[in-house]
Amino acid sequence: MREFLPRPSIAPAAVWAFPEPQRARLSNDIELLIFNLPGQHVISAHLVLGVPLNAEPRDIEGVATICARTLDEGTQRHNGEEFAELLETEGAGFGVDLSLSGAQLVLDVPASHLDRAMELFAEAVTEPSLAERDVNRHVQLRLAEIEQAQANSAQTASIAFRAAVFEETKRAARMSGGEPDTIRQVTPDAVAAFHHDHFGPTGATLVLAGDFADDPIAVAERSLGSWRNDDQRQVSVQEPAAGPRRTLLIDRPGAVQADVRYGSFGIDRLDPRWSAISVASYAMGGAFLSRLNAVLREEKGYTYGVRMNFGPLRTGGSFAVQGSFRTDVVVDALATTRDLIKVDSVPFSSQEVGDAVAFFTGVSPLRYATADGVADQAATQVLAGLPDDYVDRSLALLRSVTPEGATEAYRSVVHPDDLTLVVVGDAERLADPLRASGFADLEVRPADS
Amino acid sequence: MWDMTSGPITSLGYPIVQHTLENGLRVISSPDHLAPSVAVNIWYDVGSRDEEQGRTGFAHLFEHVMFQGSANVASGQHISLLQAAGAVVNATTWFDRTNYFETLPTGGLDLALWLEADRMSTLLDALTQENLDNQREVVKEEKRQRYDNVPYGDVMELLNTLTFPPDHPYGHTTIGSMEDLDAATLDDVHSFFRRHYVPNNAVLSIVGDVEPEDAFERADVYFGPLASGSKPPKPGAGPLQPLSGLPRTESSGKVPADAVYFSWRLPATGGRDFDAVDLGLTVLGHGQTSRLHKQLVRGTEHAESTSASALGLIGGNSFGFGYARSRDGIRPEQLEQEMSELIDQLLTDGPTDEELRRAKAQFERHWLHELARVDSRADVLGEYATLHGDPHLITSRIAEISAIGSEDVRAALQEWLRPDQRATLIYRQEAP
Repeated sequence: MREFLPRPSIAPAAVWAFPEPQRARLSNDIELLIFNLPGQHVISAHLVLGVPLNAEPRDIEGVATICARTLDEGTQRHNGEEFAELLETEGAGFGVDLSLSGAQLVLDVPASHLDRAMELFAEAVTEPSLAERDVNRHVQLRLAEIEQAQANSAQTASIAFRAAVFEETKRAARMSGGEPDTIRQVTPDAVAAFHHDHFGPTGATLVLAGDFADDPIAVAERSLGSWRNDDQRQVSVQEPAAGPRRTLLIDRPGAVQADVRYGSFGIDRLDPRWSAISVASYAMGGAFLSRLNAVLREEKGYTYGVRMNFGPLRTGGSFAVQGSFRTDVVVDALATTRDLIKVDSVPFSSQEVGDAVAFFTGVSPLRYATADGVADQAATQVLAGLPDDYVDRSLALLRSVTPEGATEAYRSVVHPDDLTLVVVGDAERLADPLRASGFADLEVRPADS
Repeated sequence: MWDMTSGPITSLGYPIVQHTLENGLRVISSPDHLAPSVAVNIWYDVGSRDEEQGRTGFAHLFEHVMFQGSANVASGQHISLLQAAGAVVNATTWFDRTNYFETLPTGGLDLALWLEADRMSTLLDALTQENLDNQREVVKEEKRQRYDNVPYGDVMELLNTLTFPPDHPYGHTTIGSMEDLDAATLDDVHSFFRRHYVPNNAVLSIVGDVEPEDAFERADVYFGPLASGSKPPKPGAGPLQPLSGLPRTESSGKVPADAVYFSWRLPATGGRDFDAVDLGLTVLGHGQTSRLHKQLVRGTEHAESTSASALGLIGGNSFGFGYARSRDGIRPEQLEQEMSELIDQLLTDGPTDEELRRAKAQFERHWLHELARVDSRADVLGEYATLHGDPHLITSRIAEISAIGSEDVRAALQEWLRPDQRATLIYRQEAP
């Protein structure tokens, strides 16, 4: 008989707080947020521009994406290849991230190269060439990218789900990078006009995080402090709305699996139910042994993994159960899901709530231990209109969530009989069984439509 | 009681201390008190290269079984206990290794070590046919989701087959085949566990908010009682010569664009040769200023995307790749021709000083990123201890890379990337 050590208990966590930024303003009023993080030798810079995607004219949606992707293809001072070469010689990485509520332009660079890299970064943002040939190429590449997405089952499901769950006139219903019919209309003049009208220092925030070799305020002032745009237009973020419930099967003949999205319109981080819904969705479909994953993966072996995700926007949002299931178990997986997501007779337990709170509390110090982790969160907060101490506040709110509160919030947001369903899979094998299993209003859409 | 050898403090300030338990388990500590978190990472020196004929995919299936419980842990409980301690948990299997890792608030360190030790010693106590069958289904779903149901999903398998002989350790993919997954038995799990999952075939890295003495003491408490086994021999594949005979194959599928892929046998990782080829492939195909992108995406606009990279492996040879995906109306054979001309040019001239400087600068940022996080630093330490025998090597990587000159790169490319040394895969769009 072997003797085993008893399972160790967990020592209480150390007090932790999200790092506090130093705030400053550049001479052109760009707001500066500085996080000094010792040991983080790669500096992360996020320039947040308050240009929401609904600033795009409806007929040329995607113009913001083409504009952002063409920024580092050359500037007034350095032609295309030369510019990219200079940036890479500094060991810098340049990226763009466009969301419904605004744009982030991101620079990662070793601390010793920050000064020169920020100069180049500012060139790309403030005086890009946006040359005709580069714009046209990025339009073609975006069209090719959409074709690749349409050939991918999971991406097809996500695209169809957002189109269904948001009201169709809203920008949120369509791909952030634009749809084929609007991308084709994007011209070099339109891109230049979009840059001229919407890129400027007003309302902009620069987040800098890392272990600085030089004074970051001076670096920021030198690179971006003299940026002016008297013609800059301000556009406020459009509020999305819910679309009507739909049940949609997108045909993918012969597919060995089906991708499923099953959800609805949701809530944002400023909603008083946000912390309770975070706890509830973790228990339902976030943890490894969440209600959904424990049954559909660990008990039945139907999937590599199933999750319930809440995606908050600046206002409103969406949520969905999502997973990929082999074709012959899809119908049973959905029927099982439909039962599992009902909590009326099985409210969330104190164990489930405690585990969720412990998880969110525990992962925060690691998630925000790097320059890019901190800068990314700070930029997200700027775009969502959240305060500097949002992480600390939201963790405190999480700790006050009760099982009753989690159950009540979940029931007020998730209405199991009123969810939109998108399935991307083999219609010949799935359509009739899905209708027979209770999805009577199933619409079948042929592939590539 | 233990031979604590302290390594050099790196210029980046990452201390590394090693200690070996009596049963042969190597323990590495790298204290870092910036955040109240600790990363626990175990590299087992076993990967898909150790699989037997007819059992492709088994090392990865086994990794899944490792989460199905042990003497004192119920099925699935490993992750759920750790998540409830605030941990991020996962495991991965690759050609040369299987790694298991969790990063969590420091107060959960004992729990993490206890859980890892319990499965290292008593996995078989909890193993059932039901658990094996369940995880077999999960792994088959993983294969469908990540390979069989995605465009170009079979490319890796085709390139493995083109580049290495079928019985070579790298001649098959880590995910394996459905037939071999179906054939796996409980006996296979037993023998694989006894053979490979012994303390002296593993490296435990503990990085973060804990001092080395403390880390070693705790490791000894939980892992010290485990018996060592016999260190399994590694697959006997010596280095193969570069490819010859221009192997070539074609495939087609429901993909939106034709594509051409090249692959090469490269030298194993851990030497200057590999690093030189790696830098050469960066110049050829990594990023916006690479030769492939400049010429084929920006210049002729014949490709929608291009890339080239080296996949470092330890067993005699590594793997090199290059690819280009066609824009509408461009035949893949034309891209093949253009790519091969660009490669020949690079072989003839070598990279320019500017190109090499850029490749090194990009490496430096990548490497600083790797070391910046406690979890990825723990993984890199495990890698260097397991494959190269010395975790301190991570501190000299930037210096090693920066010492490589343009002529070194040209010479290495001349040896491994000559036009008659590659395999080619043409991937065509199936007629709708």
